[in-house]
Amino acid sequence: MNPTPDDTPPAAPTGWLARGLQRLHPRRQRLSGRIVLVSLGLLLVVQAAGFVVISESIDRNAHAQLAERLSLAERVWHRLLDQRATKLAQGAAVLAADYGMREAVASGDQDTLRSALDNHGSRIGATLAALLDTGLAVRALGEGSDATLAPALARAAPQLAQHPGSGVVALIGHTPYQLVMVPMRAPALIGWVVMGFPLDQALVDDMQAVSGLHATLLAQPMQGATALLASSFKPTAQAAPLVGTLADGDLALAGEPHLVATWPVASGDDGRILLRLAGSVAAAVAPYRGLEWMLAMITLLGLALFGTGSVWTARRVTRPLRSLVRASERLGQGDYDQPLQHAGRSDEIGELSRAFDHMRISVSAQRQQIRTLAYRDRLTGLPNRLQFRELVQQAIAEGAHTGQPLAVVMLDLDRFKHVNDVLGYAFGDRLLERVAERLQSVVRDGDVVARLGGDEFALLMHRTDADLASLVAQRVTAAFEVPMTLDDHTVDLSAGLGIAAWPAHAADADALLSRAEVAMYAAKRHTAGAQVYDPAVDTASALNLSLLTELKRAVAGNELRLYLQPKIAIATGAVCGAEALVRWQHPERGLVPPMQFIPFAEQTGFIRQLTLWMFEQTAAEQVALALLGVRRVSVNLSTRDLLDQELPEKLDAILRRHQAVADGFCLEITESAIMDDPQRAEATLNRLAERGFKLSIDDFGTGYSSLAYLKKLPVNELKIDKSFVMAMEKDAGDAKIVRSTIDLAHNLGLTVVAEGVENAAVLSLLHELNCDEGQGYHMSKPLPVDQFQDWVARWQARPPVAAGTPAAQRAGAPLLH
Amino acid sequence: MPLPCPPPPARARRGRLAAALGVLTALAGPAGAGTLEVLVSDGAGKPLPGAAVFLESREAKAASRPAAGVEIVQSNRQFNPAVTVVPVGTSVAFPNRDTVRHHLYSFSPVKKFEIKLYVGTPAAPVVFDQPGIAALGCNIHDNMAAWVVVVETPHHGVTPADGRLSLAQVPPGSYRLRAWHPSLPPGAPALDQALVVPASGNTQTAVRLAGAAP
Repeated sequence: MNPTPDDTPPAAPTGWLARGLQRLHPRRQRLSGRIVLVSLGLLLVVQAAGFVVISESIDRNAHAQLAERLSLAERVWHRLLDQRATKLAQGAAVLAADYGMREAVASGDQDTLRSALDNHGSRIGATLAALLDTGLAVRALGEGSDATLAPALARAAPQLAQHPGSGVVALIGHTPYQLVMVPMRAPALIGWVVMGFPLDQALVDDMQAVSGLHATLLAQPMQGATALLASSFKPTAQAAPLVGTLADGDLALAGEPHLVATWPVASGDDGRILLRLAGSVAAAVAPYRGLEWMLAMITLLGLALFGTGSVWTARRVTRPLRSLVRASERLGQGDYDQPLQHAGRSDEIGELSRAFDHMRISVSAQRQQIRTLAYRDRLTGLPNRLQFRELVQQAIAEGAHTGQPLAVVMLDLDRFKHVNDVLGYAFGDRLLERVAERLQSVVRDGDVVARLGGDEFALLMHRTDADLASLVAQRVTAAFEVPMTLDDHTVDLSAGLGIAAWPAHAADADALLSRAEVAMYAAKRHTAGAQVYDPAVDTASALNLSLLTELKRAVAGNELRLYLQPKIAIATGAVCGAEALVRWQHPERGLVPPMQFIPFAEQTGFIRQLTLWMFEQTAAEQVALALLGVRRVSVNLSTRDLLDQELPEKLDAILRRHQAVADGFCLEITESAIMDDPQRAEATLNRLAERGFKLSIDDFGTGYSSLAYLKKLPVNELKIDKSFVMAMEKDAGDAKIVRSTIDLAHNLGLTVVAEGVENAAVLSLLHELNCDEGQGYHMSKPLPVDQFQDWVARWQARPPVAAGTPAAQRAGAPLLH
Repeated sequence: MPLPCPPPPARARRGRLAAALGVLTALAGPAGAGTLEVLVSDGAGKPLPGAAVFLESREAKAASRPAAGVEIVQSNRQFNPAVTVVPVGTSVAFPNRDTVRHHLYSFSPVKKFEIKLYVGTPAAPVVFDQPGIAALGCNIHDNMAAWVVVVETPHHGVTPADGRLSLAQVPPGSYRLRAWHPSLPPGAPALDQALVVPASGNTQTAVRLAGAAP
């Protein structure tokens, strides 16, 4: 839950959740789809299993039913035969009881017998009619009966006699007949009447009509192939498989599966007759097809219902998920205000929503805390730099709307490091708290006080222009004039205040802050209490903003040039040294003046690279210059150089690289550079002095350094600021300062160098004041190294003239360029 | 052969009575004509009533005379008696004592005749003039059956309920003992076995009709 440095705090806390839910998002379709698919799939499996079971059960049932029908059909068959037998028996009985017939039998008239048999046989449709005597010998056959059947009939007679009046199936020849024999009595038995039907097509058709099963009669003779006698299959060729295989069970007939059962109908010496009944499995199953259809319809209906139901259920799940995704996206965008939907539901979705909402509130609170941590200064409770910047941005946005100006005052305590060092950090902290209180008491209602860091504070003033801000700034300065008493210590505080206004000085917040800072530094430099931003002194103007990049390029691209300005010993006029200066030969802008980039380099810290560059260039020239008599070259050190703890080692490395000696360098330090952090500066200077570098105080007289302090430093030289030297000719005050400075320095054992010697008169004056060395346009402007060498040669070749020679004598001297 | 003096009607019944008396008289009767007692049994050995029994010999044939007053009554849709033995030439009357008509017939070669749908006693009795067995039926009532066994001997009778038949005044000699019963297979001839009647005393013999059943 901690914000990563890269993310803005609001977005980070729920990022993982949003990503998680976003990952869910593309699967949404699949989630609901999967729920639907699983439901339907399971339903299908269940239905299919049911279908298979039912289908098998139907098959089994149909088979069982068919088998039962087949076994019932055997009874039907017997019933059919019985009916026919009854018919036969009745016919035979009528014949046997017929008086005329009995008379004919008694008379023994063969023709009469035959015609009577035939007549009665045809009445009932019997194809066989015969009269047997009491010894079962055939006495007469009906006229229509085949006479060759007589022997076979005689063979069958004993069997028939055992069941008088009932039907018996017997093979007569190769044809199965159903025969009935009844006695003829007069009144004693005088013979037997036999009547018979062949088991033929009509019977199997009857059988089929009654039982619904196909009936087929086969003759299976003792010798020879099984033959088809009759079949209800039309055409009978369809029954061919029944002849081919005699096994019961499933058999394909007429292109359909049938269940077949077989019964022997009759058997005799010639063979036997088989009845084969075949029931169509398809027909048996047919009644169940409707059931299967119904089941299929129920399945379809179930699928539709399940589909609808599961889509509805899936939506009930995925819709809240989607709204959760949207909610997480809102959280991801930093919108913590909307409560979640579905939190009222009592199911898991509701639980999730409530947990999510709880998290939203918790994250929002944590975010607020993080915001506080990020936007507040912990020591003073004031807005920090980050929030101040945002507030300025907001104010500018408002200002752009209302047209009202605003102003920023930036404030930096003077010498706060000193306080920290002397009285401790705890004290320093409490002092900062007091400063904060004091600032808050001074500003107007609605103004914002912020601590930007360290001893830096800032004020934001709405509806305020630079002039009004200056007034407030003066109040602040005034407030600082009252000393602060803390733990028996009384501390004098002062501060540099920089003022910048929008839209007068900058278009956006960063530029405004930057310009207020610039103004603040300017104020500190000039020890003015408050300073309004002035574009003229802004080293960070738009032109210069690009300088840093270009400067870096300049170092790498050899665009910088080393210039040397000679120093002469005023007493002798001989060249004794030079000051190393840097010039920038810009490929487009031409020669860039130092004032346009040195302050900027100082501000950005790039000055340290420049210093090292100068030092290196100078070291490289050291030997050549020494040969010309230029034994010492001055290089300027900036505040930042002095604060760089590793500077001495870096200089050592350069010296080694160029086999140069420290004695050949004079390091010039400005007073203000030393006074920024006197202790550290002193330490650095000591280390440099130990290495043999000569040290010089530059621009002496402009700073606040006390002589007592200077006395402690390992300094060899004072350099009088050119502002005094240039005016000394006309201003008696300045001349006095120069004189007393020279005296003072000499008394301290320091040599004195005067800058800004621009004419012979000044030089002459300096000579009179026993100034040791001089530097200025009167001798030469700064020159590139080669030109400098030429100049030195020319200067040395000049007839030795005392520097103190009256100006008139030196008028028109060639060194005046 | 002297027949017991007869009033001709109810001859058959009296015959049985006479036979019964004959057994008694045989005990004290003159020598030369004994009583023959025949026990007829069926295949199972049980006494067989209703079996026709007669003795054949040349002497007997010569002594045969038609009987008189023989009746086969139809009453209760039955012939009574069912089995009647008559000598050749005997006239048999068929009085119908039922209220329904009967149509009497015989297809037997011994005597073919037909008395169509009559009530009361038909005008003309039927003369059985050939030896043999005639089966008589009624064309209206199939279950009515009677048999007339026509013999050429005076020594004949039908076994009573106990299957024991006594023939009185049978002269000694060699005979063929014949026995027949309706339950014998159709067309089967009367059993024929030899019998010698001794000159004195009564004779007892048994006949077993293997193919008959009561």
